[in-house]
Amino acid sequence: MSTIVPPPAQPQPPGWRMIRLLGAVSLICGLLIVGTNLATSGRIRSNQETIMRNSVSELLPGAQKEIIYGIEPSGELKILPDLQAAGQRLFAGYDGSGKLLGVVIESSARGYADLIQAMYSYSPEKQAITGFKVVDMRETPGLGDRTRSDPDFLSNFQDLDVTIVDGKPLHPVKVVKHGSKKNPWEIDAISGATISSRAVGKLIGTSVDTVIPVVRKNLDRIEKGQ
Amino acid sequence: MSEIVSCHNAENPGITAEGNPFRNGLWKQNPVFFMVLGMCPTLAITNSVRNAVSMGFATTFVMVVSYGLISMIRKLIPKQVRIATYIAILAMAVTVVDFLVKAISIPIYLALGAYIPLIVSNCLTLERAEAYAGKQPVIKSMLDGLGMGFGFTIALTMLGAVREVLGAGTFLGVHLFGKSFEPWVLFLLPPGGFISLAMWLLLFAWWKERSAERAAIKESAPTELAVPVEARA
Repeated sequence: MSTIVPPPAQPQPPGWRMIRLLGAVSLICGLLIVGTNLATSGRIRSNQETIMRNSVSELLPGAQKEIIYGIEPSGELKILPDLQAAGQRLFAGYDGSGKLLGVVIESSARGYADLIQAMYSYSPEKQAITGFKVVDMRETPGLGDRTRSDPDFLSNFQDLDVTIVDGKPLHPVKVVKHGSKKNPWEIDAISGATISSRAVGKLIGTSVDTVIPVVRKNLDRIEKGQ
Repeated sequence: MSEIVSCHNAENPGITAEGNPFRNGLWKQNPVFFMVLGMCPTLAITNSVRNAVSMGFATTFVMVVSYGLISMIRKLIPKQVRIATYIAILAMAVTVVDFLVKAISIPIYLALGAYIPLIVSNCLTLERAEAYAGKQPVIKSMLDGLGMGFGFTIALTMLGAVREVLGAGTFLGVHLFGKSFEPWVLFLLPPGGFISLAMWLLLFAWWKERSAERAAIKESAPTELAVPVEARA
């Protein structure tokens, strides 16, 4: 007769140890990330405001005074007291004598890597986009990030036709293959960075469809600075 | 991810933990020219010197911080989950660096912002965690991160210099050749990255072979019969 030998006491199962360690590491990493985020968010926000203010003054050279507008869900314009408010923002710039120089409009669209956030200036007088500037993005260095710096690409936005007729754009903004731009409402893409170029086209296109009709509707108010 | 997996398996017998960890990374075991690691950023972002230097410094910072942490807890990490642990710590370090740069300086953020998230996909960072920081004490691991980071920066800058000078006719944005120079745009595009990397690798392979030959000759030949090496070659 053989007696059944009970199995020797197992050391702590390695599975449990792995889960415990990975859990602890993830928890600590998560806490470090959250902590850094909390500690830096104030500085980051004020830095982004500086970038934004600099972008506005770059896009509207000569502007002495700015009024920040927000668009309410009903489609009405309202004046925002400061930059903190979220949502769609417009920056109306005026020269020394109070004449409206143009409106800078914020917009964003999904690029190749992440959201591309940009601003463009709109001239109600010319019914055209007169400048474009990327505020934040994560596009591939050397390719997609040329949407920020490539002078040929940026020259697309010196006079991009966005005429609005009856609350709709006359010609939708279109991104065309590099070197084949023929009309003033087309954007000449960057060769090798088609996705990022198209994202910029979309960014401007959707904004032209939705925001510029509101600007045109409220143009009297904006011109008077009310 | 495929890059990380494939290069992680490549065991190079020439790489050892011997000697000064800082100096090893700087030149003798240079991550780009001798270990051929971290090719994704090496090829992708070296089309200008400024990009190369920025990427190099950001990578160095991430490596020093995360190797310190990894080395600190190296005895607690079960073997089976070490890679996952390293990746979690590296990703944390990259995210923290991203926040810090955003908060500290706008110009640095504008120059570096797009490159920082790329660091976590750089297999060099994971390889050194596995080969060094997971086995060595904290100070040595951080020194290894610093040396490897500076070595990486030097290599990227050398590639970036060739590509920027040939591809754009500039160095750090300063025009070198005047208006008549027709830039060789190929060097700014991805093929140019491969071509200039191949040229540097060829040069170093030739140099390594030659110095090995010289050492062999020196050993075999008695000193009194020594003929200048140039004459033999």
